[in-house]
Amino acid sequence: MPKETLYLKLDQSVRIPSCHIYVKDLGKLYCRDRGLLDRIRGKKVYTFQEGDRDEKVIGVMYLIALLKEEFPCLEVETIGETQTVVRREGNGQDSAALQAVKVCFVSGICFCGAFFTIMAFHNDIGVTQVFHRLYEMVTGQGSDGATVLEISYSVGLAVGILLFFNHVGGRRITQDPTPIEVEMRLYENDVDQAVAKAAEREKKSLDLDG
Amino acid sequence: MIWRQAGMCVLGFGAGILVSAGVFTVLLAVGLVPRFAGRTHTGRHIFLYEEMIVWGTLTGVFFSIFPGYGQIGAWIRTRLFFGAVTVSAWKWLSGAAVSLGGLFSGIFVGSLALAIAEMLDSIPIFTRRIGLGRGLKSLIWGVALGKLAGSLFYFAFHFYETGF
Repeated sequence: MPKETLYLKLDQSVRIPSCHIYVKDLGKLYCRDRGLLDRIRGKKVYTFQEGDRDEKVIGVMYLIALLKEEFPCLEVETIGETQTVVRREGNGQDSAALQAVKVCFVSGICFCGAFFTIMAFHNDIGVTQVFHRLYEMVTGQGSDGATVLEISYSVGLAVGILLFFNHVGGRRITQDPTPIEVEMRLYENDVDQAVAKAAEREKKSLDLDG
Repeated sequence: MIWRQAGMCVLGFGAGILVSAGVFTVLLAVGLVPRFAGRTHTGRHIFLYEEMIVWGTLTGVFFSIFPGYGQIGAWIRTRLFFGAVTVSAWKWLSGAAVSLGGLFSGIFVGSLALAIAEMLDSIPIFTRRIGLGRGLKSLIWGVALGKLAGSLFYFAFHFYETGF
């Protein structure tokens, strides 16, 4: 049997619907021999047991050992991550109603939190007095608290928000991802790495020892 | 006169833009919303959450910059939309709204405070310095209860009067 090379690009994290993890779930694979590739893709790596958590970390070394054992003349080239976090779907899926409650809850926190933060900030810097003094100094007239200064400040704030968040009323202004979407992806990366590290420390990840 | 007004316009506009940039950078840098979304597994609704932050800020600006125009309670009490029951109904309704708003703001500020502390890595550094291996759970409980006690203390004993 001639040497064949398998190119293996593990994903950082994947979701699978069933409780069986196959090699094809873990990322992208390529091998010139289609028949061999199909056999590799269908190989079972792990099955979620009864008391398992819904996450399993699978190390690339374990995969290489597993594949080498069955296909001794296979060369494995790894390109992607050195481990992948597999999450099982189905088990802790929320009902639509619970999901809606959660969304309302978080929306409420975001709304009230932003509301409160900006008011506390204005209170902190004493924005009313600052604007009063400034208006009097520049125009030489008394301020009634709702002058052109306050109005243009509010407009400026709104424009700043639009520029910053890049959307209003559910419509995007440009095609870029919004800042919180970017933060969300970073956060997911961090979580995946933390999960992988924790599993490694607790020796619960599926990897070679030593 | 018109030039002075125009000058005020430019000044206010610039101040508004920079303040919004500053405030949102702080809110974003601590990554609160991704955390809320991650905790509740509602990452698909990030867009809505952002929208809520936008509208919350705009409402807050209205109420704190133009307090004279934000007197909803007084307005409803004078208008009496539903006759005589309006005042008592509004008492309960506004009480519920205010307590819910307080709860939500409290959650937000509590998370914000700890997120900022965490961004400075104060807790990991501290636990490492004193060699604290476990007990992280009681540390977090301690911080939460301490914040609760401090907050109650602050309002109960009128600490805000010493502020200025």
